[in-house]
Amino acid sequence: MNWFGAVRTASGGMLRHTVQAVVLGMVLLVSTASATLGLTLLAANDGPFQRAFNAQDGAHLSVTVDPARAGWARLAATRNAPGVTAMAGPFGEATVQSQFGGQPFGQLALVGRPSPGGPVDDVVPDGGRWVSGPGQIVLNGTPGGGGPVVGSKLVITGLPHPVTLTVVGFASSITNTADGWIAPAEVADLQGPGTAPSAQLLYRFAGAGTAAQVRADLAEVTGALPPGTVTGAGSWLAAESQNTSNGAIMEPFVVAFALIGLAMAVLIVANVVSGAVAAGYYRIGVLKSIGLTPAQVVVAYLSRVGGPALAGCALGVVAGNLLAVPVLHQSADAYGVGSQQVPWWASVLAPTGMLVLTVLAAFGPALRAGRLSATQAIAAGRAPNAGRGYAAYRLAARLRLPRPVGMGLAAPFARPARTLVSVAAIAFGATAVIFAFGLSASLGRAAGIQTLSATVPVQIQQDGPGGGPNQVPTAAQDAAVTAALRAQPGTAHQTVVYFNGVKAPGVAGNVNAWAFGGDSSWIGYGVITGHWYDAPGQVDVNTAFLNASGLSVGDTAIIDTGTAQVTVHIVGEVFHPSSDPAVYGSTQTLPGLAAPANVLQCDVGLRPGTDTAGYVQAVNNALGGNSPWGATTQKDGGTFYTVAVSLVGLLALMVAIAAGLGVLNTVLMTTRDRVHDLGIFKALGMRPGQMLTMVVCWMAGPAVMAAAIAAPVAVALNTATVHAMAGTAHTGVPASITQVFPPSRLALLSLAALAIAVAGALAPASWAARARPAVALRTE
Amino acid sequence: MIDSSAPGDVIRLDGVTKTYQGGGPPALADVSMGVAAGEVVAVMGPSGSGKSTLLNLIAGLDRPSAGTVTVTGRRIDALGESALARFRARHIGIIFQFFNLLEDLTVEDNVLLPAQLAGASRRQARTRADELLARMGIAEHRNAYPARMSGGQRQRVAIARALVNRPAVLLADEPTGALDTATGQEIGRLLRELNEGGQTLVLVTHDPELAERYAARTVRIVDGRLAGIPAGVCR
Repeated sequence: MNWFGAVRTASGGMLRHTVQAVVLGMVLLVSTASATLGLTLLAANDGPFQRAFNAQDGAHLSVTVDPARAGWARLAATRNAPGVTAMAGPFGEATVQSQFGGQPFGQLALVGRPSPGGPVDDVVPDGGRWVSGPGQIVLNGTPGGGGPVVGSKLVITGLPHPVTLTVVGFASSITNTADGWIAPAEVADLQGPGTAPSAQLLYRFAGAGTAAQVRADLAEVTGALPPGTVTGAGSWLAAESQNTSNGAIMEPFVVAFALIGLAMAVLIVANVVSGAVAAGYYRIGVLKSIGLTPAQVVVAYLSRVGGPALAGCALGVVAGNLLAVPVLHQSADAYGVGSQQVPWWASVLAPTGMLVLTVLAAFGPALRAGRLSATQAIAAGRAPNAGRGYAAYRLAARLRLPRPVGMGLAAPFARPARTLVSVAAIAFGATAVIFAFGLSASLGRAAGIQTLSATVPVQIQQDGPGGGPNQVPTAAQDAAVTAALRAQPGTAHQTVVYFNGVKAPGVAGNVNAWAFGGDSSWIGYGVITGHWYDAPGQVDVNTAFLNASGLSVGDTAIIDTGTAQVTVHIVGEVFHPSSDPAVYGSTQTLPGLAAPANVLQCDVGLRPGTDTAGYVQAVNNALGGNSPWGATTQKDGGTFYTVAVSLVGLLALMVAIAAGLGVLNTVLMTTRDRVHDLGIFKALGMRPGQMLTMVVCWMAGPAVMAAAIAAPVAVALNTATVHAMAGTAHTGVPASITQVFPPSRLALLSLAALAIAVAGALAPASWAARARPAVALRTE
Repeated sequence: MIDSSAPGDVIRLDGVTKTYQGGGPPALADVSMGVAAGEVVAVMGPSGSGKSTLLNLIAGLDRPSAGTVTVTGRRIDALGESALARFRARHIGIIFQFFNLLEDLTVEDNVLLPAQLAGASRRQARTRADELLARMGIAEHRNAYPARMSGGQRQRVAIARALVNRPAVLLADEPTGALDTATGQEIGRLLRELNEGGQTLVLVTHDPELAERYAARTVRIVDGRLAGIPAGVCR
């Protein structure tokens, strides 16, 4: 037999150990898939906006112009303006009021574009198709969430005759250059009577990295057109700031899960591979006795695990790529970047890393096998190290527990190293599960606090059918809102909210001020420190305000509302994730804000048992078709929270599956080690159910230990992650957001460790329970 | 076919054939035999003749490919795995050539285990174990681990363990095969004493002297078939 022939014969055994080969392959599959996904997410999280902006030729500048002043040809000629590297447009633009399902759907900026592509602002389709003619619309964003879907009808109001548009698709613009796209020919029909025509020009410039550069670029474009042509402009830097902030919020938990997944994959793969190699000692011993050299032994060992490992890694990278598709779709939504792809290096690095890890894990036992004499190898392969765990068995025998349970609980002490690996695997899995539940709860609470959806289920906003751009409601229209709300029996609270910019010494730029006309204590803003204002002269501020001003809760500040300078006492820090400083107080405390032009909305609280949808319908009916006001339902959380929670769930599931596979492998190895003992148990009358119980109980002790580790780690991880996320969102965190683990819930969630252990142990336990005693006794 | 069974046997095999997966000749072919209550039957034959297979089938450790196995009046080949395990725990004691003691349990815990698996009360099991350990002469080793005991002592532990549930049938597979001659004789005498107390015993052995000295009847198996029954002891 030649050198490699002997190796081939020696390593052929793995194929006969089907179960172990399958487990090894599965572990590497899940680990590689997790690693691919983890690396992909880390990459997706690394400057997602900038990469997507470049890939989609995002517009550095979006300019709104009056085409009547310059003419279409002159507008198009601005592509030759200094610094312009690419231009798209001019596209006709119309700003309209819309309704969906009979309810106000808000103001939409619609742009007529013949196709989604082009030299600038390559719009990424996300379901459906592009418009092919009048009567159709492609909405910016993604379908679902109770909003329109493909086939839905939007009614454009405020026109002499309402126009119905059918939603034919969804798409995303990296800088949100429009709320929707329509056929170019339809733009004129949607521009209301008396409204000046409008068009959009999209530019990319040679230099647009700073606000000053963008301002200079805008000046070049403006200068190339007749005076008064440019009516508005939007910089890409604003979109970048918003999206980068979103992305940064995701980073802490994505990194946390990626690290948990990778660490566990390393641990489990090392354990599975070394276990698989050690399982072959007997065979190698026999082959050495008939002449296999140490070098051949090492190669045989490595090739023994090589096949299943290669198959697992190959399938894993495919699975990772497939899993990444929906995950990246969600993360692209959260980042608002249209689309994201699996980087090629993740598909190379993940399987390569796992293979290297496999070889490293196998190399030690292989080397040891190579050095062992034939008789030592045979002995090592036939019997596990004896002498450990006897005291545990003795103690278990004294406990008043069913004997299979006692025997099962004592078993882990016989193989402490293997048990520690199990504890670690289960702890990783349980940590991920508990952390996922905690983070979901924290994000849910943050969403609830931020959107106030629980306390303010209905808002009256200026997007009613009678509204229009820059239109201030009349006093009569405002009074009609108050009357309509009072007439509804379901109204529990109503508070008018005014919004405007104010100045505060020490804070650069404007401070966003919310002034409440009436009792606002019921609205339920999340207070981080201090309390919600309850007297004139008191205000609450957000974290960004405190950071910018250097003030603290308890300090006083001077606020210039434009009509008066008032000294206010800061009594609380509220949860408001934003880098913009904000102040909250009554209209009494912030004089001048309670002007009609500053009315933002009316927050409405409902009596218990009131049907929100019915209430909204009734209010809108009462307001009629000509009111600029419309009642809308507040939803739980925004896209970011929805995406984050589903991402957290998926990542936790993957980690838990990998942990379960780790347990399965450990139990499988232990079952093989103890197959003869299992035969004896059966010969002595152990029933299949008792056998199942005993084998499952092998993992009960490690599961309890893992739960004891995982619970505090997950709580700490959740708190740290939420604070890290909040830090990137420029806000502190109310205690209620992190205090999501009451002892009863934590105890319940800790059962995840037991669930992972039982799920992983069940299959080999069933095999052990089903095995014929005579077969088990013969197998040594 | 040679049939050595008779009505009223505590063990009855009727037309039992056992074929293992992978083909080849049957390990047992159309075997019918019986063992009366209180009888000692030695099963002899060369290596690979089917002796251990026969014992496994009587113990319910394996299932026949054809035929029926009845022990204490119950068709054990028709029982489900749980019922079979329960039956084995209560009615059958097994002694193995290499003792098959659980190395991580003390002598006492080894002996107690079948009783505990069968659901005996703690007090009853302990009383019975104490009695057997004393009877086997190993009471002072109750807290020892099997690995530290001699072969003869280990086989005594195995016998005590096999008897803890007062089984109707005691099966011994080469009980002296791993022992020196003197210790083997000691174990043989112990088995005979048990039989004198009414214990039914099936003894698989290579050792003609052991069979002749302690068994009332010898059954010979060659190539999976009953080869014949010596005059004077056949039924």
